[in-house]
Amino acid sequence: MSRPILPGGRWRLIADDGVGAAEGLALDEALMARYARGNPEQPPTLRLYTYRSHCALVGRYQNLEAEVDLAACERTGTEVSRRPTGGGAIVMGAGQLGVAVVSRARAGQTPREGIAEFAGSVAAGLAQLGIEAVFRGKHDLEADGRKIAGLGLYVDTDGGMLFHASVLADLDIGFMLEVLRIPAAKLADKAAGAVAQRVTTVAEQTGRPFDGAALRPAIAAGFAGCFGATMAPGCADPAERALADRLAVERYSSQAWLADRSMSADGSGSAAVKTPAGLARIYITTHGDLVKNAIIVGDFNVLPRAVVEMESALRWRRLDESAVLAAVRASGADSALGVPASLISSAVLEAGRQAGERATAEPVRAVGSCYFPEPARSQA
Amino acid sequence: MTDTDKTALVQVAGFPLALDRMYEGRTHMWVARVGTGDPSIARIGLDSVGVETNGTLAQLSLPEVGEQLTVGRPFGQLEAAKFVGPLVSPVSGTVVARNEAAAADPGLTERDPYGDGWLIEVALTDFGAWLDGLTGEPDEIVAWFEAEISDYRMKGVIAQ
Repeated sequence: MSRPILPGGRWRLIADDGVGAAEGLALDEALMARYARGNPEQPPTLRLYTYRSHCALVGRYQNLEAEVDLAACERTGTEVSRRPTGGGAIVMGAGQLGVAVVSRARAGQTPREGIAEFAGSVAAGLAQLGIEAVFRGKHDLEADGRKIAGLGLYVDTDGGMLFHASVLADLDIGFMLEVLRIPAAKLADKAAGAVAQRVTTVAEQTGRPFDGAALRPAIAAGFAGCFGATMAPGCADPAERALADRLAVERYSSQAWLADRSMSADGSGSAAVKTPAGLARIYITTHGDLVKNAIIVGDFNVLPRAVVEMESALRWRRLDESAVLAAVRASGADSALGVPASLISSAVLEAGRQAGERATAEPVRAVGSCYFPEPARSQA
Repeated sequence: MTDTDKTALVQVAGFPLALDRMYEGRTHMWVARVGTGDPSIARIGLDSVGVETNGTLAQLSLPEVGEQLTVGRPFGQLEAAKFVGPLVSPVSGTVVARNEAAAADPGLTERDPYGDGWLIEVALTDFGAWLDGLTGEPDEIVAWFEAEISDYRMKGVIAQ
């Protein structure tokens, strides 16, 4: 058994609620400063916080306008910012618990080790509530085969490390579909259902109402148990506060930071797959030649588990024939849908080609979110 | 040595490894001298295990030509599946070239980490000093690489 990625001992626990988008992210980054190389060793900080309802946060290299409906944000008073961590667009508010673990990055630590270990701590916290959550490879934390928490890791230039998780205590799917970039008018009825089949919440899993803040004791206990740490309630010191105030203005609210984007174009496309049970349609969003997200929508009474497995296996995979075919076969989606793997794989690649063409034609007009890619134009 | 000499590529525990260059062990960056001019130019890239442990590369942010690099300090940033982190320089010097093809298509670095997927070229500040801290003997490189893979497999970071 290798040693844990962070030391045990007395961790600092910071709890705050109702933070703004820029302020919330700015404090996370400010907390990293004390862990820079050259500073004395410090115990890790665990921050468990909620955002003001609501804030839309995109991943480090996402194209903001492609992921978030800025007009809908304006209309609903939703704040917008960009995280330093990777991953997809999310909506945060009182119903979601933000988790930030801040420490020094351990030399030789790989991102996969770090994310897996932190994911295990969040899962241990959820276990306190009777929820069995598992970290699925490179992806998210899932309960009952559905996403219950999103994860991300960032190491800064001074060796400070920030782990982020957003844990879904509850989720207003309709609101999410309104502010994340999905032309919902076309597929509104199916979109909500498709998200509900792929996302779950603590409230749903436990059958009790929950908000983000109510998860705090369980998640804190999960981290304490996994790292052999005790949690000492504390707060940001004046220097961290001052730095956070500055970062909120100079970085997390700045146009330059919000407009920053990847060199690779985002795109989206779809293709049909004929199955014995009827027509299914695969929607994918792409980033360069990478699949950001894949979803199959059809008239399933029960969404086959293998289909979700396939969607998961396709994420962050390149649109390469052998890679896609391998992902489809490994998932068993071909048997579940009653069609050859090559047929599904061809549909994925066709949707990818379409996405690539659209991305080239309209480099910043791609649509989609981390939950649901694009509506069916042909079904509109 | 501007292109990977395919004959210098060996397979170690399922991962390709180029023996015609030097390695910085903690960051899995490789350094290869380009030509014999003065100042010495070094090409820099990620090795195959470095690529694998980060996860699928979605984004590579590389420095502009003319930027000064310091050994052990970040020169760029990468985004992989769930991770955003620094690319740490194994040498000190001035950036003289960046691989635009890899910046536009990070998949290139996954497919050919030792060849077309290189990251930047640097005019070295001090040719003598750049060897410090790097592993260059083929036997040592293979032994280090094997140990890294074995360690990562034990921890479940990379597949068996």
